[in-house]
Amino acid sequence: MSEKKPQAAPAKPKSFGWIAEYVDEHSLLAASRKVRDSGYTKTDAYTPFPVHGIDEALGIKPTILPFIVLGAGFTGLFTALILQYWTNAYDYKYIISGKPFASWPANIPVAFELTILFSAFTTFLGMWALNGLPKLSNPLFNSERFDRVTNDRFFLHVDSRDKYFNRESVKDLLAGTKPESLEEVVEDSSPTALPSVIWLGLGFLFCASLVPVAVVLNMRAGNDENPRWHVFFDMDFQPKKKAQQTTTIFADARIARPQVPGTVARGSLVNEDPFYLGFDPTKQASLNAANNIRLVSAADDKAEKPADTAPDTASEKSATTDPVKADEPAKETPAANPPAPTPTPAATPAAAGGPNLPWITEFPLEVDASLIALGKTKFEIYCSVCHGYAGDGDGLVHRRAEQLQQGYWLPPTSVHDPRIQAQPIGNIFYTISNGKGKMAGYGTVLSPKERWAIVSYVRALQRSRNANIEDVPVEMRAKIEEAKKAE
Amino acid sequence: MASISINPREIDNTVELPGQRAPLITGKQTFNSVTEMVCAVAEKPQPMLWYILFGFSSLTALMFVSLIGYLILTGVGIWGNMSPVFWAWPIVNFVFWVGIGHAGTLISAILFLFRQNWRTSINRAAEAMTIFAVICAGIYPGIHVGRAWLAFWLLPYPSLNLWMWPQFRSPLLWDVFAVGTYASTSLVFWYMGMVPDIATYRDRSKTPLRRFIYGILSLGWTGSSRHWLRYEKAYTILAALCAPLVLSVHTVVSFDFAVSQLPGWHTTIFPPYFVAGAIFSGFAMVVTLLVPVRAIYKLENLITLRHLENMNKIILATGSLVGLAYATEFFIAWYSKNQYEGFTFMNRAFGPYWWAYWIMVSCNVISPQLFWFKSLRVSPIWMVVICIFVNIGMWFERFVITVTSLSRDFLPSSWGYFNPTMYDGLMFFGSFGVFMTLFLLFCRFLPIIAISEIKGIMSIEAHREAHDKARASGGSHHH
Repeated sequence: MSEKKPQAAPAKPKSFGWIAEYVDEHSLLAASRKVRDSGYTKTDAYTPFPVHGIDEALGIKPTILPFIVLGAGFTGLFTALILQYWTNAYDYKYIISGKPFASWPANIPVAFELTILFSAFTTFLGMWALNGLPKLSNPLFNSERFDRVTNDRFFLHVDSRDKYFNRESVKDLLAGTKPESLEEVVEDSSPTALPSVIWLGLGFLFCASLVPVAVVLNMRAGNDENPRWHVFFDMDFQPKKKAQQTTTIFADARIARPQVPGTVARGSLVNEDPFYLGFDPTKQASLNAANNIRLVSAADDKAEKPADTAPDTASEKSATTDPVKADEPAKETPAANPPAPTPTPAATPAAAGGPNLPWITEFPLEVDASLIALGKTKFEIYCSVCHGYAGDGDGLVHRRAEQLQQGYWLPPTSVHDPRIQAQPIGNIFYTISNGKGKMAGYGTVLSPKERWAIVSYVRALQRSRNANIEDVPVEMRAKIEEAKKAE
Repeated sequence: MASISINPREIDNTVELPGQRAPLITGKQTFNSVTEMVCAVAEKPQPMLWYILFGFSSLTALMFVSLIGYLILTGVGIWGNMSPVFWAWPIVNFVFWVGIGHAGTLISAILFLFRQNWRTSINRAAEAMTIFAVICAGIYPGIHVGRAWLAFWLLPYPSLNLWMWPQFRSPLLWDVFAVGTYASTSLVFWYMGMVPDIATYRDRSKTPLRRFIYGILSLGWTGSSRHWLRYEKAYTILAALCAPLVLSVHTVVSFDFAVSQLPGWHTTIFPPYFVAGAIFSGFAMVVTLLVPVRAIYKLENLITLRHLENMNKIILATGSLVGLAYATEFFIAWYSKNQYEGFTFMNRAFGPYWWAYWIMVSCNVISPQLFWFKSLRVSPIWMVVICIFVNIGMWFERFVITVTSLSRDFLPSSWGYFNPTMYDGLMFFGSFGVFMTLFLLFCRFLPIIAISEIKGIMSIEAHREAHDKARASGGSHHH
């Protein structure tokens, strides 16, 4: 193929030598030895499988492939070691699990794999390169008989380029080896150059393949204001407001959104539900708002009108919804006291030093015997030490303090004190939760349900001093009558 | 063409006769008859069964590809992976498929180095199975990384975006290198082995298109003895490279687990235990595939009962090794007096995943023991049944290792129970579709038996027979 061929049109195709065909490997080996001993060197045997002994029979030298692979293996090994050292111990140092940056034991697996990888690909590519393959056109393929070389026939070829090649003598020599057939192969007369259309197509493909590269490089090197082209957006683009910038995301140009009416923010139920507080925070908020308006108007000289209207609406609201809670939202304020909202006679908790809050008066949970029993248990554990088992304010601690004549001892309040009796249950709950005076708060110790249980028990204790016979269930009355008689 | 001695009758060559070598292939084959038999697989019209299987498996593969698309668009949340079991079915399936792949390389490389000539009938199909199994395996970690389109970050390339490098002290990165090297080297080994046989296909082609495609694929192979000598040398070198490679791959896969601190993972027995399990499952898959293939394509004389029996013996040996490894894990858990290790193994056998553990033990330890009986070892039906059980067991082994250890670690407050979703199941099933589609295409278009290697062995056998005969008759023989 690499030979220059005479281009004269009528010229006979140039000979590529003779091929002799054999039916088994033994006759091929015998023929090969004969050809070798006759001095021919540009010879080759073609077989369906590797025939052992053919290298000796034809005088073929061993391949240098193993040495090339050895070199590639070392290259792979050092590539891996340098790569790992340079990346992890030099260019991008990163502490992980306290391992050293240059951790040779940890580098063994990758070094091993790259050694294999480099060696394997060198073996594969090196073998084909040394064999001169791929070579898709071969004069031998012109012979039809040669198709059986990959099936069951063995061929011996003496090349016309051998320096001792003589058409007739080679033919005689091969004929003497009793081949199945003997044939002269001719060079392929078809043009070897690729058609220009294919070159054009390949050139076009090459140029086309440069376009994406050019686009990428342009984007890398260029200075475009526009964002990159994104296949996957991830979270690269989101509507957001940055500091010192306005936004059009919301109509009011605010990003911190007010709470949606009628909703409770996650985790803030404890600040929203009377169950956790003992008072109604929404009412308190409206009262506060009224207070704030009053404060503003008080500070303002000409503020007669808003000060009048605002508290009116506030007190009106609280009066209609909850009479107990209506007490003095404005009492704390130093500002001019507006018309007093429906004064409840007994309710003057402000006098006792407690906060004025819109206390709830209904239990926010179902009150039954088990709740009161729970309240009794918890009251006797936590409260009775000071307040006494019956709530008279004569617990063990108090009595001991009396014994020691502690001058600074402030006696615990009796729950039967009319002042306490008049307190809404929300206030009692608040006191249990947050403490009052010397009393510590029990909100961190007792769950809201337990605190409400104690409130229910306190109410039961209070009732026990102010009950009449009608309060006792009919079937129990006889028992009380008997006890009375026995007295 | 000459008359072909295809003899579809089953010839029992599993009997050992004293003083005689059992034939590797049966039916008095010639070079031509071997060529004819193997080429008939791709040249004759495929049986109806092929079309049915191909239709079913390609639809399944299509479903798998669609589900991957759905996964990428939606996120890995469609799987059941949930705290504390973040390595669930994707990693189980990955290890399962990689393990199956090991048999091909073992047959083609290690049996070659040990001069086990019987490998020639089965190595090509086994290597193809390796490639297809590794493809299935490689998909899972690729899509498990979450943002699959950034999976190339695993490679050490100089990046202008990240300004950082992969972390070479992590077994997960070793895995990238090990599985990557394994996949590419196996592909090269498989293709190189096929080139002379593709040349056979080329030379028999009746249509120009076939001749052109096989001509390109066979690279102009002529069977020149110079080429053969370099080719054989290259084949030996590749086998010598692949033998340690195949052992290293599952060793590194086991490092993914063993290098962590988790009880049940943190053990030094993992590398040999994983490699034994991989060979075990891979041979079972080869037997499962080759029994129907030899029946459908009438290859009983090339893939003989003796080949299958030899593979079953290896399954018996590796199955016993795996059983020993299970017992050793329990022994070490007790002997180490490590309370976490002890708990983990009691939890595996008697905890919430007891069912998975006992499926694993009965399939992997008990079922291969049936191969002690020769009647089962040479019965195609029985060996397929047992091999399917072995692969069920090997999937459950990876499930037990991955999920039981993760679901109950040191901290009882973080314990959980893994529940797979529909997508876990469909995607595992879908990977079988990919595998079967590729294997059926391989049968249809490529030489499923190494024709030239069988001919080489036939030549050697004939030579040896002549030698033995000459010696028996008292005559002297010269090489």
